[in-house]
Amino acid sequence: MTGPATEVTPQATGLDVGAGPFGGLREQLLGAAERFGSGPLTDILGGLVEDVDRALREPLEIFPVCHHSPSSATAMARRLRDKRPKVVYLELCEDMRPLLDELHNCTLPVALQSFATDIDGFPADWAPLSVVAPITEASAEYQAISYALTTPGVELVLVDRSTDHVFQWEPRDDDTAGKAEDETAAEDEESALHGGAVGVEIGDLRPRFAELEEHLLHHGKVRHWSEWWDQYVEQPLVDADHDTYRQVLVLIGSLFRRLRPDGSARTAVDENRERYMWTRMREHLLSSGADPADCLYVCGAFHAASRVEEFGLHGTAGSFEITPRSATSWQYGLIPSSHSAIEAQFGLAPGSVSIAAATYSKALRRTGLKPFRLGGKAAAKAPAKAAKPPAPVTDRLSGFLTAAPAPDGLDDQELLGWCVDIVRLARKNGYASSTADAIAVYETSILLAGIRGRKRPTPYDFQDAAVTCIEKDAVPGRRDVARLCEILLGGDRVGEVGYDALPPLARNVLDRLAPLGLDLEKRAVQRALLDLDADPRLRPCSDLLWILRRLVPHDVVQPIMGSRRLGERSIQESWDLAIGRNMRSIVELGYEGVTIEQVLEQRLRKAVHAPRATAADALAAVEDSILYLGGRRFTDELGARAVELLAAERTVDGAPEVLRRVRRLLTHYQATQPELPEWCQAFVTAGYAHYCTLLPTAFTDDDTGVRQVAAMLGFLFGMESLALSLGCDHTQLELAVQQSHPESPAKVALLWAAQTQLGLLPLEELRRRCDELLDNPLVVPSFPLYLSGFVQALEPAPALASLVVEILSKAFARLPDTVLLPWLPKLITTLKDHAEEMVPVLIREAGRTFPATLVGLDSWTPPWSAQAAPAGPPSGSVPDGGPAAELLAAHPAACDALAGLLGLPPGWTATSAPAPMSTALLTEHPTTAHAVSGLLLN
Amino acid sequence: MTDDILRAPAEVKYADELDYLESIDDAPKPFSWRLSPKMVCTFILGSERSDGLDREIPQKWFGDRTFVERSIVTLASDRGLLLIGDPGTGKSWLAELLSAAISRNSTLVVQGTAGTTEDHIKYSWNVSMVIAKGQSRESMIPSPIMTAMERGVIGRFEELTRSTSDVQDALISILSEKYVSIPELDTDNTVFAQPGFSIIATANSRDRGVNDLSSALKRRFNFVRIPMVTSKKAESEIVRFRTTELLRRHRIELEVAPSLLEVLLQSFADLRAAAASARSDDEKLESALSTAEQIGVLEDAILHSQFFGERELRAETIASSLVGSLARRTPEDLAILNKFWHGVVEPRSKKEEGAWQGFLAGGREALAKLS
Repeated sequence: MTGPATEVTPQATGLDVGAGPFGGLREQLLGAAERFGSGPLTDILGGLVEDVDRALREPLEIFPVCHHSPSSATAMARRLRDKRPKVVYLELCEDMRPLLDELHNCTLPVALQSFATDIDGFPADWAPLSVVAPITEASAEYQAISYALTTPGVELVLVDRSTDHVFQWEPRDDDTAGKAEDETAAEDEESALHGGAVGVEIGDLRPRFAELEEHLLHHGKVRHWSEWWDQYVEQPLVDADHDTYRQVLVLIGSLFRRLRPDGSARTAVDENRERYMWTRMREHLLSSGADPADCLYVCGAFHAASRVEEFGLHGTAGSFEITPRSATSWQYGLIPSSHSAIEAQFGLAPGSVSIAAATYSKALRRTGLKPFRLGGKAAAKAPAKAAKPPAPVTDRLSGFLTAAPAPDGLDDQELLGWCVDIVRLARKNGYASSTADAIAVYETSILLAGIRGRKRPTPYDFQDAAVTCIEKDAVPGRRDVARLCEILLGGDRVGEVGYDALPPLARNVLDRLAPLGLDLEKRAVQRALLDLDADPRLRPCSDLLWILRRLVPHDVVQPIMGSRRLGERSIQESWDLAIGRNMRSIVELGYEGVTIEQVLEQRLRKAVHAPRATAADALAAVEDSILYLGGRRFTDELGARAVELLAAERTVDGAPEVLRRVRRLLTHYQATQPELPEWCQAFVTAGYAHYCTLLPTAFTDDDTGVRQVAAMLGFLFGMESLALSLGCDHTQLELAVQQSHPESPAKVALLWAAQTQLGLLPLEELRRRCDELLDNPLVVPSFPLYLSGFVQALEPAPALASLVVEILSKAFARLPDTVLLPWLPKLITTLKDHAEEMVPVLIREAGRTFPATLVGLDSWTPPWSAQAAPAGPPSGSVPDGGPAAELLAAHPAACDALAGLLGLPPGWTATSAPAPMSTALLTEHPTTAHAVSGLLLN
Repeated sequence: MTDDILRAPAEVKYADELDYLESIDDAPKPFSWRLSPKMVCTFILGSERSDGLDREIPQKWFGDRTFVERSIVTLASDRGLLLIGDPGTGKSWLAELLSAAISRNSTLVVQGTAGTTEDHIKYSWNVSMVIAKGQSRESMIPSPIMTAMERGVIGRFEELTRSTSDVQDALISILSEKYVSIPELDTDNTVFAQPGFSIIATANSRDRGVNDLSSALKRRFNFVRIPMVTSKKAESEIVRFRTTELLRRHRIELEVAPSLLEVLLQSFADLRAAAASARSDDEKLESALSTAEQIGVLEDAILHSQFFGERELRAETIASSLVGSLARRTPEDLAILNKFWHGVVEPRSKKEEGAWQGFLAGGREALAKLS
């Protein structure tokens, strides 16, 4: 309790401690320090008492707390009932205040979250920024919040720096900033509940350098910090009165404050936070006119022992100024948390938060203390009882420091119960444990407590005993005994954010999935079966699930059956839904928009306008928009952006992807729309011109792969008819091909294929060139490279498939193994990579060429060998004669006029041709001709 | 007495300390224990100033306090203690210290091998005496375990999993009924265990699957798994502790420079990291790279320097001793060491110079000789 306000003067700092209640203790400590030798120890020991004295004399009552400390929580509950403050100042980011009103809808533990994706004023690579402040039930802050929210007339004021300042004060040069505290690899899903957020906690109290902690653990004969705290602070304090509690906590806070490395960035941040909090509190007191005696300041013990000049109601303002927030727009929400997530985030020993929760409930049971709880509505107790007059500060520290702590271990019944339960649990998890083990665990727990100097075993002793007696050489199931003990001691509790506290988007998602008839807030994975034909009401659910799948990590909703692609429509779908356990992902989506469609729209828009966006990205966005959103306007907008991006591209790296996507989209539009959308037409014409322009460079540029050039050609040939109909010029392509002079064999082959496709190179000539290559022993080693080019040419020029099969067959027949074998894997991987486009063409052609049976193979001659035999009369020397020739010869005027128009000399003569075969045939069998003429005349 | 023995057992070596601790120990002791559990812990883990003892008790086993506490508590309970872990993690040393502290006798040891028979666990007969006088308690040769039962002290069973399953199972009745019957005798044919009797067994986790313990036997043992020491600080403490002991034993006056110790520890740490990331057995050394092996390397180097060198420990000697100890398979181990020397030691010697340079040269030479 504070001293009377009137007695305290602004000069009431630690300097006059000697005259205060702690004079005796101070003298004693200074005496001890002198015996060890003077120097820093005197300052430290003397300073500790000064700090306690200073904090206790402060007219605004400071209530020091420690995180996950049951004694803090019980002491807080007692103090609140006793004092009934009207204003509670809490060390928590001030901008999170509105979230606290939603807590009554939640099952704890949950975490308050601030989230920002659009960041302004911080390095871009920090995005997205996320801060979480977990709240558990066994905590002092929850008591303070519940009291303030359920008691009418009580104001709760958060005074710590805003989340924006959390990042403002992060060191900029450090790459890990913004992610510094969450590096612990989260092994299971419960531990990963907070995602990659920066954690803030009320009452972080832990030695600030490793050596001190190590020293304390070593001498305390404990394994980890949570156990040390439990044994040396928690257990002795759990039933302590308010004064003792406060003094001890400030003393510990002061100890860690004084034993910390100087000049670290963390120290500076801590002090700035203290300045911030005191400045805010003074501002509030001034503006509200509240009486400091009716206020309570809840802060970490570390901050209670602050030495900054702004400390206290009468502290000086100093040079500290609260900087304005950056332009980053912050979103706020509640996300489910869990004990293991808190442990993982703040580096606590596994199980420690659960043990703290168990200790808290035990303390409540034992003392009969009624804690404050957020029960959904404000408590009816109207006027708060007047606070008791504060009693003068008396020294409770000396007694606490010298007396042995009262034992508060497990009582026999509780221990027995645990021993039986752990054996049962172990059996369930595959251990061959029996009643004999329960006896052994019981005995070992007591023996371990004895060897560790405790009168009764603590939960940690019990855990060790269980591991000793039950754990053998291998863990039979998923969980080992240590983990089972944690489960037994309260287990990992996972919080739940109630429906009303969810952001609109998450509520909207749950509402729209209601027709599925599943309780989606459950943490289990649930299977949803959607018979879309039988029940068309489920179709919107299916649409929503597909959007969710696109937006959130894949384990949230997972399609087991059914797919969504252009041109496909599912009749039935089945999904694995794990929305309840991944509520954080959904809540975080809620920061981006009000409906899930809006979020997707924003993301797609953002993706196509990103600085590094490519035409292929934009086409992907178009496809997503068609698949998931369906709105024509937005799709057109994305498509228009794709055209812009394509025209601005200077490389053709994305050509294969562009080709694949645009083909798919064209097919889709041709199948579903009466005409192509404008952007699509623009894309084709722009693409035609664009790739024609880039083709010569791409052929010669070493950095551009064969695959890319093939895709360009694929685009040009594949879209040509459409492009020409839209006003493009074929000569542009011809010129582009003629300007191309590749050097690498693969691209040369590709060029030949292109020329053949365009009619610039006869097929025979191409075949001849290939044969020459095979015959030339100097070129043979590089022949596979040509082959690679031809294989790639399958895509732009599928008509060449028969030639490709022929060349491949020849290569296999004639190339020496030393050349062929090293190339084979490459061929296989190329075909595998592009299986969708190339393999069907190749297989079909090969099927047509090669005999289907073994028997057929014996008598088979390759078609190309057969062609080598003398061919028929050369084309062009078509036998003259026939009715047409006769007609022309009879009426030469028309031909002469045409020749004149073309600028040719007139006077052509019909050659006297031998009697054509057709005429001879008709003369011999006139019946058919007569019948035809009869038919025509009739 | 310690001067006459090559390696004195712990109870002889630390007789002074044990006497002292026994004299001041007024805490309750279980059964016939010579020290209370807390004092046993102090004896093994060393004393703190805060313990308020008149003399300092040095730490003898380096590892987590919990393991020692759990082991002691197990011995005070009804069950046997099985220390399990990788080779070289100090299981046997802990077992020896525990028996020395609790019963002042750590020599009642049965060594488990493929040739261990039930006789080694229970009793056998002095054949000539049986022929002369017939079967009697006099002509019976009790095993160390039976002796431990009779005296109410700790018996030890080293490498339990090396012995065959039927032999292991002979321990079941000893651990549960706590007596051994001698059916050959008509009278006085049961040896009952006196209070204080318990068994400390050790098992090598690398032998898993060779002779697995039956579940009946598992149930009668509490398992304490001793992990490999990974903290560099703790490891350097262990190596220093054992080396000092070794130097004293060999009466060698030799200084082990901290920089050399650092080189040795770092190389082992690097090799362990390499072994951890190896994908197959061929990619990692056959050696378990335990702390004991480090001590072995250092011991080898010290002896070499003492008798063949210039009575000064040099980095080159450590390197060649390391190569000699770890290169067991040719060519796999040699290839790994070669890779290690060129990929890790060479850059390190360029960066940090000092002892690393000598280490690099020595290792290269040793590898060249072996290749």
